[in-house]
Amino acid sequence: MASSRQIERDAAQWLARREGGDWSALEQAELDAWLAASTAHRVAFLRLDAAWAQSDRLKALGAGTASDGVPARGQWLHSNFDLQAPRAESMPEPPTPAATGHDAAALVFAPRRSAARGGRGLRYAGVAMLALLGVASFWGWQRQAVVEQASYRTAMGDLSDVALADGSQATLSSDSRIEVALSRSERHVELQQGEAFFDVAKDARRPFAVVAGGRRVIAVGTRFSVRREGADLRVVVTEGTVRLESEPVGGRRQPTSVLPAGSTAFASRSGVLVRIGSVEDAERQVDWRRGYLVFRDTPLSAAAAEFNRYNARKIVIGDAAAGELRVGGNFRLSNTEVFVRLLEQVTPVRVEHRPDRIVLHSR
Amino acid sequence: MNAALDAWFAREILVHEEALVHVLRRYWPHRDDLHDLRQEVYVRVYEAAGKALPTQPKSFLFATARHLMTDRLRRGKVVSIEPVGDFEALNVLIDEVCPERRLGARQILKRLAEAFDRLPDRCREVVWLRRVDELSQKEVAERLGISEKTVEKQMAKGVRLIAEYFYGGEPSRADLPRKPQADKETEHGKQQTD
Repeated sequence: MASSRQIERDAAQWLARREGGDWSALEQAELDAWLAASTAHRVAFLRLDAAWAQSDRLKALGAGTASDGVPARGQWLHSNFDLQAPRAESMPEPPTPAATGHDAAALVFAPRRSAARGGRGLRYAGVAMLALLGVASFWGWQRQAVVEQASYRTAMGDLSDVALADGSQATLSSDSRIEVALSRSERHVELQQGEAFFDVAKDARRPFAVVAGGRRVIAVGTRFSVRREGADLRVVVTEGTVRLESEPVGGRRQPTSVLPAGSTAFASRSGVLVRIGSVEDAERQVDWRRGYLVFRDTPLSAAAAEFNRYNARKIVIGDAAAGELRVGGNFRLSNTEVFVRLLEQVTPVRVEHRPDRIVLHSR
Repeated sequence: MNAALDAWFAREILVHEEALVHVLRRYWPHRDDLHDLRQEVYVRVYEAAGKALPTQPKSFLFATARHLMTDRLRRGKVVSIEPVGDFEALNVLIDEVCPERRLGARQILKRLAEAFDRLPDRCREVVWLRRVDELSQKEVAERLGISEKTVEKQMAKGVRLIAEYFYGGEPSRADLPRKPQADKETEHGKQQTD
């Protein structure tokens, strides 16, 4: 019977081999056999594996701090953790409008996203997009020097895919504006308005930072979305990990939030709320990229607000009771009419069509 | 293979490792047994949970530790009984000694960073390049001018030490002077306590 220390060493070796690459099915079978041989093997491996999985979060710390190679000992701790800062991060629930018992009528319909397989189903209106491209200014040796600068915007109702010079991809939502500056040391995107989804090309030496309203969202190689409403932000992470930093308030450093895949962060003046959910939940929140809005037990007021991001003819909630109805389903974001017609058929809502807006009253 | 059970174990049991080790250390006179005791507790908990998940994982974990220590005493594995404490008191003590604390994302990260910083130099480099910079084993070997085999060895060591520091406890509470021959990592552990 091997000692517990020996078992732990063996487990570590297995894990290192597995992480080392060239891991074959045969080796996996060998590992499985080793694990099955004794619970002691299993718990030892499980423990190391869990710790190793946690260590993936180091990437988030690495983003933005590592100029080149391994950071000096202790140094990054100071830059990342201000122990004086209040512990205002990570609260379980997002600030959704108060839920009421009024969830009776949910409408669920529409075949699920046929466009998903055919890539971007929506026709992107490129015309409305303004691109001031390629100001290639070289101050060669100067690392901070901007080597590429561009700005992009979309009109109401349009979406736009933008390929950035570093290989990253940005998808602009309706009525949105970003300013991109790529330098040798940083990829800097300012979200001036609206929402954008980023599929970031991996480059550990050049962090990708999205700046909006006094906050920075930092990633190395990952997929996430940032939405801005005034100074408030919503960050949705669908892959990898990003770091959310805030400017000091009144000279006090604000805590940094680390957002794993599946999380949604709401940042406002009162602080940062983080909801950690499944990646699927997170994906649902950025389905606008495919031209769809997806609701699950969503208050009608929130659903209407979503539609209003994409359409000039606004949906207005006529009374509080209507706003509290819960709805679900997948909808084309450009088709407000279909949405309200279905509402009228399935929920206790009366629709009033005005030339400039659509008003929903409860019946 | 039971991924759900494994995830439960990591989430509900491993997070209490620091407290568990603390309690074992307090009630068990032989430091050399601690590693083995800890593993045995985990084995028992894991096997029991495979049949039915305990509703109160933390209490179950400490009850298991208590039973294990009692069993070992009865089986006469321990020569000197005197210094061994009153296990029954454990019930009360658990919450007193280690009040429930769930780590927030930021604290987890801080703990990881500290664990990482305690790694010996070479090991720390290897872990960083593999984990953060995502270089392949081969690339790491080339970059550091060492063999792939050495990279793998350093990785194995890194994984082990990170687990030890991350789950096992705070660096500041170095109240157990481990015997050098018992664990040859001690030398590395020391150099980072400054």
